[in-house]
Amino acid sequence: MKKLALFAIIVLIFGTVSPSLVDGAYAQNDPSILLSIAVQADKQIVNQLDRVYGDQIPNNLQILYDKGHGAVYSLDESLPNDIEKAKQDFLLAMNSFMQISRIISQSSEKVVVVVVVSDKSNRDLSNELDRLVNYVKSLETISKKYDTDTESDFIKIYDLIQELRQQVNDLNEVNVGIKKIKIILDSIKNDIRESAIEQRSDFIKQFFDRLLDQIDKLLTKAQNDGVDQIQIDKGHELILEIRELLSKNQINDAKVVYLELKELMKNIGYSIHIT
Amino acid sequence: MASFIEPIQLKQSLGDDGILFVRNDSILDTMVKTPLLVASMIIVAALLPIQSSFSSPRDLDLIIYPDGSTHISTEIDIDPFLTDYELNLFGSTIDNLVVVGDDEFLLDTSIMDDSVLIQTFGSSVITIDYDIHDLVSKQGRLWTFSLDSPSNFTLLLPKNSAIVGMINLPINMEIINDQNQLTLSPGKTEIDYLFSNTISIPDPKIETNYFSYAIIGGVLIIILIGSVIIIRTKQKNHKSVEDNLTTKKSTTLDLETIFKLKSDLREDDKELVKFIFNNGGEALESELRKKFLQPRTTMWRAVKRLEREGVIEIEKKDLQNLVKLRKNMEDEE
Repeated sequence: MKKLALFAIIVLIFGTVSPSLVDGAYAQNDPSILLSIAVQADKQIVNQLDRVYGDQIPNNLQILYDKGHGAVYSLDESLPNDIEKAKQDFLLAMNSFMQISRIISQSSEKVVVVVVVSDKSNRDLSNELDRLVNYVKSLETISKKYDTDTESDFIKIYDLIQELRQQVNDLNEVNVGIKKIKIILDSIKNDIRESAIEQRSDFIKQFFDRLLDQIDKLLTKAQNDGVDQIQIDKGHELILEIRELLSKNQINDAKVVYLELKELMKNIGYSIHIT
Repeated sequence: MASFIEPIQLKQSLGDDGILFVRNDSILDTMVKTPLLVASMIIVAALLPIQSSFSSPRDLDLIIYPDGSTHISTEIDIDPFLTDYELNLFGSTIDNLVVVGDDEFLLDTSIMDDSVLIQTFGSSVITIDYDIHDLVSKQGRLWTFSLDSPSNFTLLLPKNSAIVGMINLPINMEIINDQNQLTLSPGKTEIDYLFSNTISIPDPKIETNYFSYAIIGGVLIIILIGSVIIIRTKQKNHKSVEDNLTTKKSTTLDLETIFKLKSDLREDDKELVKFIFNNGGEALESELRKKFLQPRTTMWRAVKRLEREGVIEIEKKDLQNLVKLRKNMEDEE
């Protein structure tokens, strides 16, 4: 008995602690990568300092560089035996190099341009098209899975992208083209949704059934708790409406009505959760 | 002097007020059934990680494009009894959002500033892909990536970029298609990088110790391989013509033959096979994910499908899955 209880406790402790053990083991995966990154950064900083200042490196940058470079050597010495020291050296080196490159980028450029990447005009159009192709491809994979009749749309999109790649310097033309493609993609998404819903309608209906039963019970409880009868009646009406729409296979419409029902339940203070 | 030790559990004593104290070790036996206790503890232990894993990303992969925009791909375990799920995005300038649930079921979404409301309707795992333009800023020639991540994540930096500063420790770094991919831990991350035509190679002086170890190791490996080859060659000399025929069969099949043998392969699976074939007959699963920009589980399912079909075999290499084209498909047919 004692042994069994002890075993159970060990299982409990191991089960709780094991995920963190795995993380810890992973965190020490090949510490020599720290050295590779630091050495690469060191070289880049040397190149930058050479390019900008030649032999006349400002004193503050020289001090920072010596600090960083020293930390890289110390990092090399620390590996592979003293991992904790190696980590500290790495952070010290990378922090020094970060400061240097920030000072250089602020002081050396005649006009420091701070580019906001979120501003559309600053984005590279060819990158924009690459991202669009990935988006198209992921939708194409999903549409193939659900056998949607969208093959010709995808061909059209790929042709358009091809054309846009040749006009990549014309910002307006590309933006208009991308808008056109997005409209086609929206329509494809709708087709995929319709088709997926058809194929998964049984699952969704079963899910809704359980959900509506639960809401029904919640409404009864709310009625007993003295919630306004108008709200309760409205809730029952919406449930009926959803059931009717589901019976006609109008799942998207059912979802829309459900959102209204969910809002109502929230307003009367009852959160929906299937158990 | 004769003395004996009386077992303490058998000792019964009367207190001052005449109360009988009985030490009872079998209290657990009488109150709790042992198997029940063990089972419940195991269940609790098993459920703890599941409980804490709901709503936390299972995978989080980021790819930075040369213009600083970032593609995010994440997979999240969610409560299958929920009808919707609100996810905080890493910013508000979002493009190309695709959210799929179980069975790659395309889910409805509505973006509100920097969060998205996803109608999950019973899905237990959702995969989210989007492009975001808020994570990278540029000052002069210096690019800075910043993120406060809720979980471990991978970050693929653009080609020809070199890291010149960072504020935290990476867990791992790999080179994928000439690009650095870092694995980083949760919390605040800031990485400065710049583009350079001459990406420096780590200093040979610093690497001396490792090189000497590598050379010694290399020599030992060559000796080992050499002796294995010699032994094998000797063994082969004794083998029959039949063995030679088998050896001929074991060379990798060409693509046409593979597709002919497995005519019912899906188009996307064929693309995977083509890539593996052109990659010398093998590729890491992580390479496939990056090449086809697929989430981890989607790619895992595809690889498993191909394994079931007998087209590939999976081997473990440095804690990763190495996917290899099978050499003896004809035998199976």
